[in-house]
Amino acid sequence: MSAPNSSGSAAAPAVAASIHQLPLELIDSCIGSKIWVVMKSEKEFTGTLKYFDDYVNMVLEDVTEFENTPEGRKTTKLEQILLNGNNICMLIPGGDGPQ
Amino acid sequence: MEPTQDFTSFLIGRPVIVKLNSGVDYRGILACLDGYMNIALEQTEEYVNGQLKNKYGDTFIRGNNVLYISTAKGV
Repeated sequence: MSAPNSSGSAAAPAVAASIHQLPLELIDSCIGSKIWVVMKSEKEFTGTLKYFDDYVNMVLEDVTEFENTPEGRKTTKLEQILLNGNNICMLIPGGDGPQ
Repeated sequence: MEPTQDFTSFLIGRPVIVKLNSGVDYRGILACLDGYMNIALEQTEEYVNGQLKNKYGDTFIRGNNVLYISTAKGV
């Protein structure tokens, strides 16, 4: 993949070249370690990243699901999940989740 | 084979929890699953706000609604 965003500014390729890492390579380097996933809605997940694919669907282990509701935060523990990448907003490597 | 498919093939025939974006949970035996996360479940139980609302024999869940598929210890 050479130019993922042809409409970007002229500086963008230079930035990509300077850090020598594509966004998905950052996620690839997180495999086997803890990751914090923030969804588009008021939901967050933390867990150990096992695998992910090009859609950023991912397999997480020892997961905690955080659901922010007007009544407060609800947490759920899950052993292993396949998370749909469709609603993911942000990934934070090494993140412990919301405090 | 996509690595995420190792996990999905591991899940076939096992009890799973499928959570939809709406927050509804379906617990049942995973019959099959495809790349869209379309799901066929057997012995399905529908949980709304943690309360059992319905039971179905076989169900098909369209993949666009799926938030996650999780392993379940005892269903």
